[in-house]
Amino acid sequence: MKRCASIFVMILLCAGTLVAADVQSEFSAANRFYAEGKFTEAAKTYEAILKSGTVSANLLFNDGNAEFKAGNLGEAIAAYRRASLLAPQDADIRANLGFARNQVQGPTLRNSGWLRMAGWLSALTLNEWTAAAAIAFWLAFGLYTSMQIKPAWKSRLRGLARVMVFAAFCLCAGLAAAASIHFTQSIAVVLSSDATARSGPFDDAQDEFAVHGGAELSVLDQRNGWVQVSDGNGRIGWLPDRQVRVLPEI
Amino acid sequence: MGIRQMSYVNQRCGLNSRAARLCRPAMKIHFIAALCLIASLAAQAADFTASLDRDSISLGESATLSLTFQGGQPGNVPTPDVPGLQIVGTGNSSSISFNNGQMSSVVTVTFSVTPQRTGTFTIPPMVADIGGQQIRTAPLQLTVSAPGAATSAQIYSGSQVAFMRLSLPQNKVYPGEVVSGQLQICFRDDVQNEGNFQFTGMPADGFTVGKMAQGGTERTRIGNRVYTVIPVSVALTATRAGTLKFGPVSANVVVVMNGGRNWGPFGGFFGGEQKQISLASDVAAVQSLPLPTQNVPANFNGAVGDYSMTVTAGPTNVAVGDPVTVRVQISGRGDIDSLLLPDQPDWKNFKIFAPTSKTDLSDDLGDEGSKVFEEIVTPDDAGVRELPPFSFSFFDPNDGRYHTLTQPPIPLVVRSAGATPSPTILAARQPEGQAPQDIVSIRENLGALAQAGRPLIVRPAFAALQSIPVLAFLAALVWRKRTDNLANNPRLRRRRAVAQLVARRLEDLNRFAAENKSDEFFAALFHVLQEQLGERLDCPAISITQADVDGRLAAMGAAPDTLNSLRELFQACDQARYAPVQTSQELSALALKFKKTAAELQALKA
Repeated sequence: MKRCASIFVMILLCAGTLVAADVQSEFSAANRFYAEGKFTEAAKTYEAILKSGTVSANLLFNDGNAEFKAGNLGEAIAAYRRASLLAPQDADIRANLGFARNQVQGPTLRNSGWLRMAGWLSALTLNEWTAAAAIAFWLAFGLYTSMQIKPAWKSRLRGLARVMVFAAFCLCAGLAAAASIHFTQSIAVVLSSDATARSGPFDDAQDEFAVHGGAELSVLDQRNGWVQVSDGNGRIGWLPDRQVRVLPEI
Repeated sequence: MGIRQMSYVNQRCGLNSRAARLCRPAMKIHFIAALCLIASLAAQAADFTASLDRDSISLGESATLSLTFQGGQPGNVPTPDVPGLQIVGTGNSSSISFNNGQMSSVVTVTFSVTPQRTGTFTIPPMVADIGGQQIRTAPLQLTVSAPGAATSAQIYSGSQVAFMRLSLPQNKVYPGEVVSGQLQICFRDDVQNEGNFQFTGMPADGFTVGKMAQGGTERTRIGNRVYTVIPVSVALTATRAGTLKFGPVSANVVVVMNGGRNWGPFGGFFGGEQKQISLASDVAAVQSLPLPTQNVPANFNGAVGDYSMTVTAGPTNVAVGDPVTVRVQISGRGDIDSLLLPDQPDWKNFKIFAPTSKTDLSDDLGDEGSKVFEEIVTPDDAGVRELPPFSFSFFDPNDGRYHTLTQPPIPLVVRSAGATPSPTILAARQPEGQAPQDIVSIRENLGALAQAGRPLIVRPAFAALQSIPVLAFLAALVWRKRTDNLANNPRLRRRRAVAQLVARRLEDLNRFAAENKSDEFFAALFHVLQEQLGERLDCPAISITQADVDGRLAAMGAAPDTLNSLRELFQACDQARYAPVQTSQELSALALKFKKTAAELQALKA
């Protein structure tokens, strides 16, 4: 029985190693395309790896670079945003996202206060916010529990416990805001170079405003293959979902 | 009143129900009047005429053809069909007039006549049936000429409602140079509004016509009239040497003239008359000089204008075969969009990929701005130490000379392909406050794979885990309360201590009974009885007397059996001092009795 289990584990490990080697070779092939200036091919190869279920910040970063060089500004910004969700403190990702955003024409949420707050909160991933808040929460309760068990420690631990409670409160507030944004606020990145937001989710609805590739818009609703978006200046319109990518999708 | 006239204009009119109800009495009156009039008109003489509002127009303008029926309603309205003329009905009107008891009826049908080519056209006679009479019109002639520029005399006389002037600001150009053609579209001060402006012809011989930009409108006096002048600039790129011509530029525009209200079919919202006008400008010519053939730089590739250049490259620390992005920005004035990156013959040790480019034009005409080229190069060997100088040459038409811009070499660190790459972060290399010139290059490693799955915060196991510190704290709190309670209540503390003592002594009693140690048994029994009673009566154990037991225990509600059992136990202890030897069974029975009695005492309320 033990021998069967060992064989099964070995098979799993070998299969995992083969898959990892395959992904790494695909990744290297995409990098070669990029080095040769075949940015469209590189982007397609990166996308194929992503579709296989492999996701990493570096993979999304390279995908964003290839899309940017291929002239697909919307795809590039979407990839950079997904990469920044995985590695929010990565300076390269932030630099390239900022660089790509500077190329975007027309309305975008770039300068809205909401996006600035979201940017500040995205300094940590949602799981990092959760872990930080949980650690502070445990430490605060641990200190108060210790003071109950050993009343003689109260005078020494009281100050630290209060600091920890304050820290836990702040981190929980940050976690709540980050979770609220993560679960309720979606961003649509415009993929088409030019798109027209319409007054309703119909092809013959009246034109409302024009947006360009890479514009980041707040998602208000999704219905029948259309996405209702707001440009942050009070203008609302519907775009076909084939023209946008709704994030987060990690 | 000598003349009373009623006019009915046939128009599409949408009435709501309220308006329709209000109109009904008036309609009845009109209907009755019409019946009477038709009867009287039957005897009137019938006539049918056709007329043009003018017999000579320019190509692009329209004339109005009017068919007038007098003396009755026409049985048919003929529509002329003339090749080369587009004739479209625009409306009809009818009027009935009374003059000194004599009535006359006139029905007028109008057509818009738009020529499709120049020439002389004849509108043939038309026949209409009015009251049974067949009436024929005379043929009409319309002469259509090519649009021509207004003469100075016409302009200064103020007879032109609108005209167009063209000028070129330079008298010499070079092939590849961009010049700005200046068009002025002028409307006389009695033009109330203009619209539907459309260029119909913009011939250019030796020029490529580029973007157009409209300038600010201004008013100026020309001759004895004031005109509104709309300047339009046209970007023209010379394509060859020799005499180049631009024009005549032709256009159509519809103007609304000031004047009395006209509610006819062409009456506008403001009451002015609408006119379609053809405009044409003069021909502007300029001499194009050939580019000098002397001192032509080796890498000159046709750029004409006035330019500056910046070149950056990154990353500069690479392995053999790694990409280095060379970014060349050429800014200035000229045909920016058609600029090409020149070949660099000195870049022999690099593999060069086709560049991408992006044009950013800063003016509406598109002759000023910058073009950014991005070229990927990869060093072929580790001996490469620099990116060689980059040069770009152009011909400046302002001074008639060639210029060459050269960027100094850019140092490179090129490792062999197997060397460990050092991390390069472009963003970190950017000086403070300076915007990055390009994106940071790709990563060589896949990096840590992201864990799929829902965020921690929505996982039930994680939420359940967070209850542990809370529960631990609550448990510690309860424990602390109980401990403090005990510390502050001596009777409770004594009760617990005695209960524990009783439990321990019971074990001793059973053991002494089993071992038949009578002396130790009764010593222990007497001690534990005193402790239990002292605790119950809240007094020192050694001060317990028989009277206390009987009196105070009875007052606390002790059962008579319990009291009797206590007496028996005390008596047994007293007797044991004199006759200590008893059997093991008797000692066990006493131990059992003590256990029962102690339990009953502990149940009493203190």
